[in-house]
Amino acid sequence: MTRLVWLAALALLAGCGGNDDPLTVFAASSLTDVAPAIDPDATVVLGGSNDLAAQIRDGADADVFLSASAKPLTDLRAEGLVGPPVAFASNVLVLVVPAGANGVEHLVDLTRKGVKLVLGAEGVPIGDYARESLELAGLGAALANVVSLEEDVKGVIGKVSLGEADAGIVYATDALAASDDVTAIEISKHFQPRIRYFAALVGPPSDEAERYLERLTGAEGERVLGDAGFRPLP
Amino acid sequence: MTRLFPVALGAALVVAVTFLALPVLAIFLRVPPGELVAQLGDERARDALLVSLQTSLIAHALILGVGTPAAYLLATTRFRGRATVLSLLELPLVLPPAVAGLGLLAAFGRRGLLGEQLQVVGLEIPFTQLAVVLAVCFVASPFYLRAAVTAFESVDPALLGAARTLGARPLRVFARVALPLSLAGLGAGSTLAFARGLGEFGATIMFAGSLPGRTQTAPLAIYDALDEDFDVALALGALLVVVSLALLLAVKLVPSWTRSPSPSTTLFAPFGSR
Repeated sequence: MTRLVWLAALALLAGCGGNDDPLTVFAASSLTDVAPAIDPDATVVLGGSNDLAAQIRDGADADVFLSASAKPLTDLRAEGLVGPPVAFASNVLVLVVPAGANGVEHLVDLTRKGVKLVLGAEGVPIGDYARESLELAGLGAALANVVSLEEDVKGVIGKVSLGEADAGIVYATDALAASDDVTAIEISKHFQPRIRYFAALVGPPSDEAERYLERLTGAEGERVLGDAGFRPLP
Repeated sequence: MTRLFPVALGAALVVAVTFLALPVLAIFLRVPPGELVAQLGDERARDALLVSLQTSLIAHALILGVGTPAAYLLATTRFRGRATVLSLLELPLVLPPAVAGLGLLAAFGRRGLLGEQLQVVGLEIPFTQLAVVLAVCFVASPFYLRAAVTAFESVDPALLGAARTLGARPLRVFARVALPLSLAGLGAGSTLAFARGLGEFGATIMFAGSLPGRTQTAPLAIYDALDEDFDVALALGALLVVVSLALLLAVKLVPSWTRSPSPSTTLFAPFGSR
């Protein structure tokens, strides 16, 4: 009888676990509109690229991983957890400020005393890119105005769109998606880091996952990515 | 068939204990103890612990300072709408922390309800340690208030009456009779509130942001370190487990030493006895 109860408990636990039937796509937060559009039936899990990579490292049930930078994927690749990364889009950075003027109109304004700047945390792609951009512009002093380091783009946009922060640096695509609440200010191409999005298959590739990758890198992907404001690969 | 029921009960208990203890145990098993201690020397971990300690202590002083008299009044007087006030004070207990964060922003944010008034006096709360303190107070104080009301309520009113009859003024009745008799219950509530405050995450990250050395508390640092320095995250996590365990033991053991007549000798009494 004991064994019966144990079996029942085990069956219950197994039922709670993942089911690998539907395709699961792990995608960087900035791909919120893109990842589901490529395959509406896929389960899309959004998050910071590093967080998602950590989850995959811990055995999360992902079939495809779309990362906002190369590093999380090259790390996973070195550990033998994913297939070869494929670049599929590029992006540019913009400065975002709360809708309505607040005196921040150019990158250089970020160094002004009292400006509340929100960036991605170090090691988070959007955080590293923003730092690179500020460095390229010779505006490292702006880092003294940082009031919060967020774990993903949503965190940055959220604090700016609520008007609690004066400015943030995010991808142009995210600014586009939030254009009701934030004003995007272009950053000169001289201060743009090289931003590439990479995709890779996780674990043993399924036909479905391969098809997803084909659609993403094909004509359909190009259209969906373009609609969301991504730039084609140069 | 008659033996099945006790077996099922036992199995349920085993499942519950295993499920609840395993994640805590796993933290300690994943990294050797020496390594855990070494990781606590990491600058990020130290900064976070300092921020946590500072903000928790300030928040706790505020919770005790305001909560004790407020709870005393609620316990010793009956007025219209008292039940409503009690329910309102308990609302943060069941509120999702993210909602608490939203609410704090909506009330004290730059564009919030009191934003303009606060700005007049030169106060911008979001992204400051004050924001962390407020977030902690908001989520933790109901734990104390609830326990304190129960503790004060359980003091025999005849004792308070006797003190008054003997000529003691209200402040003296409170300080010399009510307070000492409720100490065990107050201590339990206070410890529980402190533990909850120390673990605050959702409201803090929304309202105060996360900046190392300023607003990044230990739970926020765990989240931040998760992607790059998993060992630092584990070390901070392990430390929080140890602190939480110590607080839990304090709640369980201290009342039995003080022999107070308060009924709040376990963690759960304040919740059930109203």
